[in-house]
Amino acid sequence: MQASTRHTWLTPVLAYLAAALILAFLSHSLPRMLPGDFVTAMYGASDVTLTAEQAADLRALYQDNSGFTAFLGRVFCLDWGYSYAFQAPVAALFFDALPWTLVLMGTAHVLSSILGFVLGVEAAWRRGTRTEKAGVGLMTVLEGIPELCSGVLLLLVFALNLGWFPAAGAQTAYADHTFVQQVADRLHHLALPLTTLVLAYFPGNFLLARAGMVMVMKSPFVLTARAKGLPPLRVRYAHAARNALLPLVTRFGLRFAFMITGALVVETLFSYPGLGTLLFNAIAMRDLPLIQGIVLAASIMVLGINLALEFVYILLDPRVAHAS
Amino acid sequence: MHLDAGHRIRRDPWFLTGAALLGLLFCLAVFGPVLMPWDPYDTSFIPLDPPSARHWLGINDGGMDIFAELLSGLRNTLIFGLTAASAGLILGSVTGLFAAWQGGWVDQILMRLADIVLAIPSVMILILLAAFFQPQPWVLALTLAALTWPTTARGIRAQALTLKHGLHIQAARHMGGSSRYIIFRHLMPELFPLYLINFAAKLRMAVFMEASLAFLGLFDPSLKSLGLMISFALKYYYMDIWAHWLMPPVLLLSFLIMGTTFVTISLERVFDPRLKTAL
Repeated sequence: MQASTRHTWLTPVLAYLAAALILAFLSHSLPRMLPGDFVTAMYGASDVTLTAEQAADLRALYQDNSGFTAFLGRVFCLDWGYSYAFQAPVAALFFDALPWTLVLMGTAHVLSSILGFVLGVEAAWRRGTRTEKAGVGLMTVLEGIPELCSGVLLLLVFALNLGWFPAAGAQTAYADHTFVQQVADRLHHLALPLTTLVLAYFPGNFLLARAGMVMVMKSPFVLTARAKGLPPLRVRYAHAARNALLPLVTRFGLRFAFMITGALVVETLFSYPGLGTLLFNAIAMRDLPLIQGIVLAASIMVLGINLALEFVYILLDPRVAHAS
Repeated sequence: MHLDAGHRIRRDPWFLTGAALLGLLFCLAVFGPVLMPWDPYDTSFIPLDPPSARHWLGINDGGMDIFAELLSGLRNTLIFGLTAASAGLILGSVTGLFAAWQGGWVDQILMRLADIVLAIPSVMILILLAAFFQPQPWVLALTLAALTWPTTARGIRAQALTLKHGLHIQAARHMGGSSRYIIFRHLMPELFPLYLINFAAKLRMAVFMEASLAFLGLFDPSLKSLGLMISFALKYYYMDIWAHWLMPPVLLLSFLIMGTTFVTISLERVFDPRLKTAL
């Protein structure tokens, strides 16, 4: 049994380590496969003519001839290169933008998970009623609307037509606010991007939680719990819903690709100063070191989150730890 | 069992709505650009001209007919989606079937490889490739397929493993059927519902990715795409272009993703034995 427990956590850890190495290797080697170099890519199409000396200096600043191990070392030391569009170290730009993305995506995930889970469980409990059928229908339609579209619609109606919410940014610039006013101001700016993301994530959670709960409700142990005369809320959440959580967690990794892409789009759409907007600006200005840095750092964060989820799954479902 | 599921799927309103939406959009994408009198790359019209009888959706800032642009963008988005979905499905099915049939260390290695590829966030690789090399869309579509095959491979492998030990396969084996015969005549046809589910799910993912990445400016800006149109139209948000320039690509993209979502969800409900009770 000891060996089998180790096997369950060792396999995902190894897989994620390998994935991280592949990502780091790609981000190290892809720029080297470019014809020419960063300097040619940057100034090749511009009107500036560089002297040989200037070109050599720029090359020394931007080009990195170190091997893969040295590159890995620099990744760990947060030495991710120098952005030529913003004239700042990539790591500094990344960590300036990161808190905004964490606030936006974190809140969106927490809200949509709780909402989706509770409503999904309640819907499964009321299976066959008219409200439940309408709810499932509405959620299926919402699941089909991409962030790009719902975001544009929310922007049009609530920011530009009604003017209730700001259309861009995360806070009023240079405002002289007290702490409470500042929090209110930031929430005001957060409202539209957050709504867009919750609208995108919540239906999926709802449908998965409902499907999981419907399957669980057929099991004998739920019948036992009911027959024991336990209060309905206890049967629903302590006994049944715990097991309905499992499909939510297993599907999370698969849905993550959608979620990151959606968050990138939403941040760009509402000019929210997080990683998505930073990446968008980097792409628009062809700032290759910055793109490289953001992609690698964000990917490693995604890998970390997914790996943590694997462990949550083992905790939630003891059967996994005991299986072969 | 398949016949029964076939009947049920044909009576599922979600599947019918989704299939109708997709069918309509496919027809628009296939026949639209042919019937359209204007070339989407013709820049000879008056920029920002409002809709008229000649130009139903008006003219964009570059002097191009928006309706022609829309149809061509829909076609490009669909071509990207279909390429990525078919390549991913073929790659995943072949790997899954091969792993299940061979078993042993081949199976082990392929499935560990699937674990690793599955862990890599595909968007990030696409962004890196698109930003550095600005490749043709089909290269990106194939890359997406190379990163999304493991989900299919896992599903196909699991189902093929249970089938492999089924009575009819055992019987075919004892009667002297070769591996090739059994794989082509028994295993592959029986996995048909799985191909459908995976294809629809992959199509949805690829269309979503294409539109989003084009919106972010990662695709060749000279190729029409729904995401790119939305991004260009948003630059003129302060003008009266919402109804005829911004909304059409937004709606078309929503219908496309909605169609694939309905089909995917309904196929999963009907064909997934574990979800059968959830219908």
